[in-house]
Amino acid sequence: MKKLINLIVNNKSYELLVAPNRTLTQVLREDLNLLGTKEGCGIGDCGACTVILNGRPVNSCLILAVQANGCEIQTIEGVADGKNLHPIQEAFIDYGAIQCGFCTPGMVLSAKTLLERNPNPSELEIREAISGNLCRCTGYQKIVEAIKAASKKMKKKEERLDE
Amino acid sequence: MLILPKFDYEEPKDLSEACKIMADLKGKGKIIAGGTDILVNMKKGLLAPSCLVSIGKIPGLSEIEPRNGSIFIGSNLIVAKLTEFDLIKKKYPILYEAASVLGSPLIRNRATIGGNIVTARPAADLPPALIALSGKVKLKNRKGEREVELDKFFVGPGETIIKEDEILTNIVIDEPPPLSGGNYIKLGHRKALEIAIVAVASWIVLDKPDGVIKDAKIILSSVAPKAIHAVSAEKILIGEKPTNKLIEKAASVASNDCSPIDDIRGSAQYRRAMVEVLTKRTLTAALKQAKNSK
Repeated sequence: MKKLINLIVNNKSYELLVAPNRTLTQVLREDLNLLGTKEGCGIGDCGACTVILNGRPVNSCLILAVQANGCEIQTIEGVADGKNLHPIQEAFIDYGAIQCGFCTPGMVLSAKTLLERNPNPSELEIREAISGNLCRCTGYQKIVEAIKAASKKMKKKEERLDE
Repeated sequence: MLILPKFDYEEPKDLSEACKIMADLKGKGKIIAGGTDILVNMKKGLLAPSCLVSIGKIPGLSEIEPRNGSIFIGSNLIVAKLTEFDLIKKKYPILYEAASVLGSPLIRNRATIGGNIVTARPAADLPPALIALSGKVKLKNRKGEREVELDKFFVGPGETIIKEDEILTNIVIDEPPPLSGGNYIKLGHRKALEIAIVAVASWIVLDKPDGVIKDAKIILSSVAPKAIHAVSAEKILIGEKPTNKLIEKAASVASNDCSPIDDIRGSAQYRRAMVEVLTKRTLTAALKQAKNSK
């Protein structure tokens, strides 16, 4: 039997009728047309389906949409501020941290959660934070450099705001 | 895309409702907590419960609560929280170490301590540390509640003594005695998203800072159908003064206390050799911690 659920996705509230066997990835992509969230392996190994659920990055392919009832979700579509890209997104472009792009939404969301908790991460902490997100193109180096650059950029921006 | 088979979904608001649902389902239902294991198995067609019963909305099952020196950990507590609470890091570093190498950061944000126990995978990360700490689990059904030592909980791969209508509600760990220390090392090909080739948890209690070993536990993982004690190695340690030589002897004996298999992750011979190395390293670290603890 279908269940009525409420999801807050990128600050917008949705009422949805979903079958229990549908994953959060499926509902985001198929019902809400948020195609930035990818499905790679479907079993929690690759991280392409990463979304931020109540402040924590998670594999949305291993969450039932009904389990997410009442939760706040951020997908890659909710990261930019209108037409202004998030500093992490800008840094990914500047540092060539995107090749095929399939892992990018997950990488950006894992990086975003890291920088919100730890604005000044070491390289090891960056690598640890994205260790659930697989990239088969870049060899990770450019992604790590982009996250490092984004952390500096975000710090400068904060300092400017403090002045 | 891997599609899940059809099933019903229940979300009880408290434990008594959950117990009633599980009793009524007569074995056709399965508990879902984080879902990182059961949903994979269902996608692969290994499991097909007619109903999933979520314990996510039951109050009190997602918390850590200190009680008279012991701690009660709700079975629905996510693994990430075991790495975030100061209490765990300071008082039970062995559990902190095991939790921080489980899966990936994304998995740790969903996977629960209860799930890592009831699935009874021979390479699960939390059971060796919890057994070393003499952890107990509370199992509840409509008829009542029982407490079982984790040491007696596992039967074999994927098999435990839990009954089909029982729900694991809490994990109880007593206060560590003075002069105790523990350490967990997991050996894998990579650091994240890895299933252990071999893992060892060691636990030592001393009678005096320079005294003899009062209690010792060496738990070997991924080298038998379930996490096991290195029985003869533990015997060698108890009652003796800890020296490098004694630790080396215990480590060498430990490699014969297990029954590893050849598989894609490593050969039996390699696993035995690594049991020796990891037993030595974890015992050395546990001893150091025990000497420095109060």
